Amino acid sequence: MISNKEYFKFYVNHEQRNLRHKVDWNLAEEYSKAGLNLKSRMADRFYRLCKEEKPIILPDEKICFVRTVSNLPDVITEQEKDELGIWDCINNLALDYYGAIDKGLIEMRKTADEYAKRDIDSIIMLSDKYLEEAKRLGRNDIVEVLTQVPRYPARNFREALQFFRILHYAIWLEGYMHNTVGRFDLNLWKYLKKDLEEGTHTKESALELLEDFFLSFNKDSDLYRGIQQGDNGQSMMLGGIDKDGNDVFNLLSELCLEASYNNGLIDPKINLRVNKNTPIERFELATKLTKRGLGFPQYSNDDIVIPALQKLGYDYEDAANYTVAACWEFIIPGNAVDIVNIDGLSYPKCIDIALHSSLKSSANYDKFFNAVKKEIFNEAERICTTWKSGYKLPCPLVNLLMPGADYLKAKYNNYGIHGCGISTGADSLAAIKKYVFEEKRITPDELIDAIDNNFEGYSELLHLLRYEAPKMGNNDDFVDSIAVLLLDTFAESLKGRKNECGGIFRAGTGSAMYYVWMADELGASPDGRRKGEPLGANFSVSLFAKTKGPVSVIASMTKPHFENVINGGPLTLEFHHSVFADDDGISKVAALVRTFILKGGHQLQLNMVNTEKLYDAQKHPENYKNLVVRVWGWSGYFVELDKCYQDHVIARQTYTI
Amino acid sequence: MTGTIFDIKEMAVHDGPGIRTTVFFKGCPLRCRWCHNPEGLSGEPQLMFKSARCKGCGACFIPCSHEDCKPFGRCLHVCPQNALEIAGKRVNATELAKELIKCAEFLGDGFGGFTFSGGEPTSQIEFLLSLAKELKGYHLCIETCGYTDKKNWQKILDTFDFIIMDIKLADDEQHKKFTGVSNKIILENFETLKKSKKPYIIRTPLIPDITDTADNLDAIKSIIADSNWEKIPYNAAAGAKYKMLGMEYKL
Repeated sequence: MISNKEYFKFYVNHEQRNLRHKVDWNLAEEYSKAGLNLKSRMADRFYRLCKEEKPIILPDEKICFVRTVSNLPDVITEQEKDELGIWDCINNLALDYYGAIDKGLIEMRKTADEYAKRDIDSIIMLSDKYLEEAKRLGRNDIVEVLTQVPRYPARNFREALQFFRILHYAIWLEGYMHNTVGRFDLNLWKYLKKDLEEGTHTKESALELLEDFFLSFNKDSDLYRGIQQGDNGQSMMLGGIDKDGNDVFNLLSELCLEASYNNGLIDPKINLRVNKNTPIERFELATKLTKRGLGFPQYSNDDIVIPALQKLGYDYEDAANYTVAACWEFIIPGNAVDIVNIDGLSYPKCIDIALHSSLKSSANYDKFFNAVKKEIFNEAERICTTWKSGYKLPCPLVNLLMPGADYLKAKYNNYGIHGCGISTGADSLAAIKKYVFEEKRITPDELIDAIDNNFEGYSELLHLLRYEAPKMGNNDDFVDSIAVLLLDTFAESLKGRKNECGGIFRAGTGSAMYYVWMADELGASPDGRRKGEPLGANFSVSLFAKTKGPVSVIASMTKPHFENVINGGPLTLEFHHSVFADDDGISKVAALVRTFILKGGHQLQLNMVNTEKLYDAQKHPENYKNLVVRVWGWSGYFVELDKCYQDHVIARQTYTI
Repeated sequence: MTGTIFDIKEMAVHDGPGIRTTVFFKGCPLRCRWCHNPEGLSGEPQLMFKSARCKGCGACFIPCSHEDCKPFGRCLHVCPQNALEIAGKRVNATELAKELIKCAEFLGDGFGGFTFSGGEPTSQIEFLLSLAKELKGYHLCIETCGYTDKKNWQKILDTFDFIIMDIKLADDEQHKKFTGVSNKIILENFETLKKSKKPYIIRTPLIPDITDTADNLDAIKSIIADSNWEKIPYNAAAGAKYKMLGMEYKL
């Protein structure tokens, strides 16, 4: 196992951070004065950074390349940013690394544009520095690898892995992050298969190499510039079917699960495509990884996702090739420049507006729901007409790795919108339906006043709404059918709308970080949620819903018509660590996951948690440096999260034995 | 036919084969000092006060007119923290079975069966058997202390597919001291179980210095011979619920 090796400890203890330095180049001013176009600026910065980088090769380390420059100076001035309406390079894409690995950069250069050519030359220059360093250190193994890649096609598994690492490193260095790994086992199996056949690798040596490669995803992840550490998009997809319907899962997929288990690190984040024919043994293998407490694998259901993507207009062979962008948003590798997370719609907010404008005047529940529907349509209209892409900073390497399309004029240019707070929304409407309209226990005035006063002076009403009212997660059609209708309404509100690139808008079931942000802008809600309390993350039951257990939750959460809301966004189930204590527990969790898939669930992530440990980690973070939790679509180190995200993980319902 | 239960739990991992739903019956003839489900001891509904949640607002002491609050002298429908709960509700066997089957049908062939636990399920024998009858066709498992008369025990063996039975202490005096009853009936019932050819497993909770002694474990071993035997580690959090019920944890 590599976890015993010095270089593994070196990176796990973040010692590479001591080798880094910052550059204080004022490139934006310089480029602006020189009147350089944006692509030229990107290629020039990339060249300078490659020149500045120093090669680091640790003893025994096989897969090299680590960043020594920690910052990327801006290429455009603040003024230009405002004028051009630019936020960043586009992100959350599935690039075709694998085509490049098969071809080699020299071959790619022949058809590349001027800027990508410059980038290729820069990569080769940097790679040659590593080659020289390897020679100096007498590392003939690395010399052999770097003499071949990235110039020429990979000839074996090790070269393919090193090539991938170089491309991934380069693309972060160019400033583009959140790039998903894609269908790793589908694309790289041929290399390993050949090595095994020729006897240059055994299963064991391949595993060790894979562990080394997996470690490389953790070398520079602290340089990610996103919202929370850990949300860096390094998601790997395993399994699933190919375009001919064959099961892709192979020995490499299995070794990936094992390498991830052995390393115990948050990256790469493992995803598994499954379907109704997936054997139970594979779910058991995957559940063993869940037991490791890293919050993955995350499951996606081919039976639901592929037809749903087709319904949105994706060609079958593209739909069958889907992967996830960063967290869980479905995306097609190589040809989709979808912005899968351009905004989120808040069901609770739409309900709150309708509550204040229309509850008193609604003669019955259906009339009130129509008012909610109107607000959902208004919100959809607002989102779809105000959001224009700000991802206008070009990235020559992205262009290079999206064959057949300039990345701003790709085959697919769709925008995805999260649907947030589904359980808060459905529970709120169920309470209104039951208590205001059916039983008439609460008058509209009373409810509105209670909400506006955050239930101050309404303790009996709060108790009724919060603890006694029907809640999603109990297999209760009364409330579950409302959730189904809310999701369908959201999908309907986006239907027929076109974005600025001519693409469509996709409705989803995720929340990303909006479960915290949207709760902040909301008052109390009719489900008994107090002001300031967060919504459930992604597609989950409310934080204070009492349920009988995970079976009822799955029964509730598999009722929606996911073919209408397939932007992505998983059901999350948290299990107490004791559930996994023995093989029997593992096979039961695996059987439950399989049930979710058979019942038509779209996406599922499981967390193994130990609440007592999490509380202790808040008090003594120094003792829990490597404690991992699943946050909203990614795994992160608990003690590095902002407190609101820590508290949310603790508050989620944990299923025990 | 009605009975009193205090919980239904889905996917109880340690209660028999497959994904199961477990029903917890209220009432138990034993008083094991280490019992970790004290709300299962009395057969009557009980007020559980979760003091850790209480912020001392006093709202529950203000007299109310709710019918269900009357027996407890506290209002159950007002606590903003939900610190007051009632452990135990009367349920109808037919309706309960309907609810349970809903979950089983959802799971399809992934479903393992139902487990009846407690408390002590045999303490409500008529209700137990009528519920089992309503669930005929499903794999049924019982978790029992075995302290029930021979006639009832035979019915249990005839009804259930899998028996999980506790043998806690081999010595009768010790058994009386720590569980409040003699183990004579229990050991007799074990012999019947052994002869019945019914699949079963014996469980012993490992309570430091009480059951977890070499003498006791050796003695149990000689009674149960080569029966399947699970030793359950002591649950350090076992005492937590006593205070909520206004009871004293004696361990």
